[in-house]
Amino acid sequence: MSVLASSLVLLALLLVLLAGGVWIAIALAAVAWFGLQVFTSSPPEVNLFQSFWGSSASWTLAALPLFVWMGEILYRTKLSEQMFEGLSPWLGWLPGRLMHVNILGCAIFGTVSGSSAATCATIAKVALPELKKRGYDEKTCLGSLAAAGTLGILLPPSIIMVVYAVAAEVSIIKVFVAGLLPGVVLTLLFSGYIVAWALLNPDKTPPLEPRVPLREKLYRSRHLVPCLVLIVFIVWVMVIGWATATEAAAYGVLGALAIAWWSGGLNRETFWASLMGATRLSCMILFILAGASFLSSCMAFTGIPRALAEWVASLQPNKYTLIAILAGIYLLLGTALDGVSMIVLTTSIVIPMIEKAGIDLVWFGIFIVLLVEIAELTPPLGFNIFVLQTMTGRDSNYVALASLPFFAMMVLCIVLITLFPGLATWLPDVLIGVTKK
Amino acid sequence: MRRFLDRLYIASGALAAVCLASVCALMLAQAFGREAGVLIRGADDIVSWLTAACAFLALGHTFRKGELVRVGLWLDMLGARARWIAEIFALGFTALFAAYMAWAVVKFVFESWKFNEMAQGLIQIPIWIPQMSFVVGVLIFLVAVLDELVAVLRHRKPAYQVAEEERRAAGDFSETV
Repeated sequence: MSVLASSLVLLALLLVLLAGGVWIAIALAAVAWFGLQVFTSSPPEVNLFQSFWGSSASWTLAALPLFVWMGEILYRTKLSEQMFEGLSPWLGWLPGRLMHVNILGCAIFGTVSGSSAATCATIAKVALPELKKRGYDEKTCLGSLAAAGTLGILLPPSIIMVVYAVAAEVSIIKVFVAGLLPGVVLTLLFSGYIVAWALLNPDKTPPLEPRVPLREKLYRSRHLVPCLVLIVFIVWVMVIGWATATEAAAYGVLGALAIAWWSGGLNRETFWASLMGATRLSCMILFILAGASFLSSCMAFTGIPRALAEWVASLQPNKYTLIAILAGIYLLLGTALDGVSMIVLTTSIVIPMIEKAGIDLVWFGIFIVLLVEIAELTPPLGFNIFVLQTMTGRDSNYVALASLPFFAMMVLCIVLITLFPGLATWLPDVLIGVTKK
Repeated sequence: MRRFLDRLYIASGALAAVCLASVCALMLAQAFGREAGVLIRGADDIVSWLTAACAFLALGHTFRKGELVRVGLWLDMLGARARWIAEIFALGFTALFAAYMAWAVVKFVFESWKFNEMAQGLIQIPIWIPQMSFVVGVLIFLVAVLDELVAVLRHRKPAYQVAEEERRAAGDFSETV
């Protein structure tokens, strides 16, 4: 059977299983089994064991459950209230006033948490009622929360980035550092949109709140200091090469526990809840990664990715055309799949293609993360939409429409990193080195 | 029986959680030990085995809690009867594949025990010992899937669906990326 025919058969089988509600990891593994059994002479059961075990028993991957746990601990602290209290006195002077707390709060929480939905939920929990009480425009408020929550996976540490780095075999730290500048750019784009919107709709912004003296401002922000210190510390130890990503993650857990203990949110119950929650989430991701690694090994046997990469290379596509087509495909996938599945499903096919086209894999990681962020906002399956839908009782279309302008800002950010790839690659190259993996 | 099964899932999930906490403790011990000039031999191997144990032992528990992801989009649009059939297809297929996986894993680890294969690292122990987490995890997962299949065949709502609905209603989103 030709490579094209066999890849179509595998794709069709995968779609049937996914649509039928089979758990994603099992669907991936079953397709891999089928591919090996039918198209190759390699014994599938040996491959299955080696892929699952080799993918899971990995020292690099140990960073993932630890970063998950760190986020779970902080999610259960009072950080969200402290974030609002600490940020609001500083941002009142900007057009759009406290709306910027949504953006900056998510950006700061996003640097300690690796999850988009958790970031969105944490900040929205407090910001939403407070802003409503003061009479802010609900629509812009919802849109900014939905979009800014996704900063959680662009700013390091990020669970999605660990998944990508492991799947594409690039350095976790490099992808983390590459996310920093685009994260700042996106934060500025979001805030910039709010400023422009507020200037165009002056009647929709509530009046300035009474000025707070500087000492009072500093006092109110005191709770944010440990959090900021933790972020700077984690990124710093990774960048100077003092700690690996896994070690930095372990420090992160220690720091998160200390913050939780200091703010009085740590007891035996929350400790166990965070640990069990982290275990389940890690189990889910590691199992999908294992299934995907089995599928990758099947793919390598069938030669599909290589053939496809050569075919794409033979068309000699313009780099921008290739990127635009991939962006379109990911946008489509993002409406129905969650971020982890989006990445692991596609890497075994797309990475060889990207390498052949001479596109930097670290840059591509940031590109893919931005598309996963957009996927969080696109119904029917957008987790940040779910979060705000549950919190406000509005229907999902309302929330999705509210986030549309911010969606446009994210697309703009993708265009920017495509036109100026240095935004993503310059910092890691300077700090960590071009060749070092 | 019901109580035994529920305890089995919880206990294996808790054991996985202990593995996760041990990864953290071991990483910290290694980092601080290095500063103090103490080297922990083979810590990297133990960390990777514990990571695998964390993933595999928690499978049954995670599955019951509805946190193993799947594409639920079309399922949610189906009517009660069609949904029932779809659930049976998904569970039946998953049970079949989990049984196959269990067979493959048991066979592989049994052979490694028979030929006394050793771990390829600093720690010289038979490799089947750390790999037992995979065997145990997959078997518990198979039991959990069969458990749900029986429940759905008896027209009961599966535990993963109940858990997911409860989580949504409570506004708890800590468990999504």
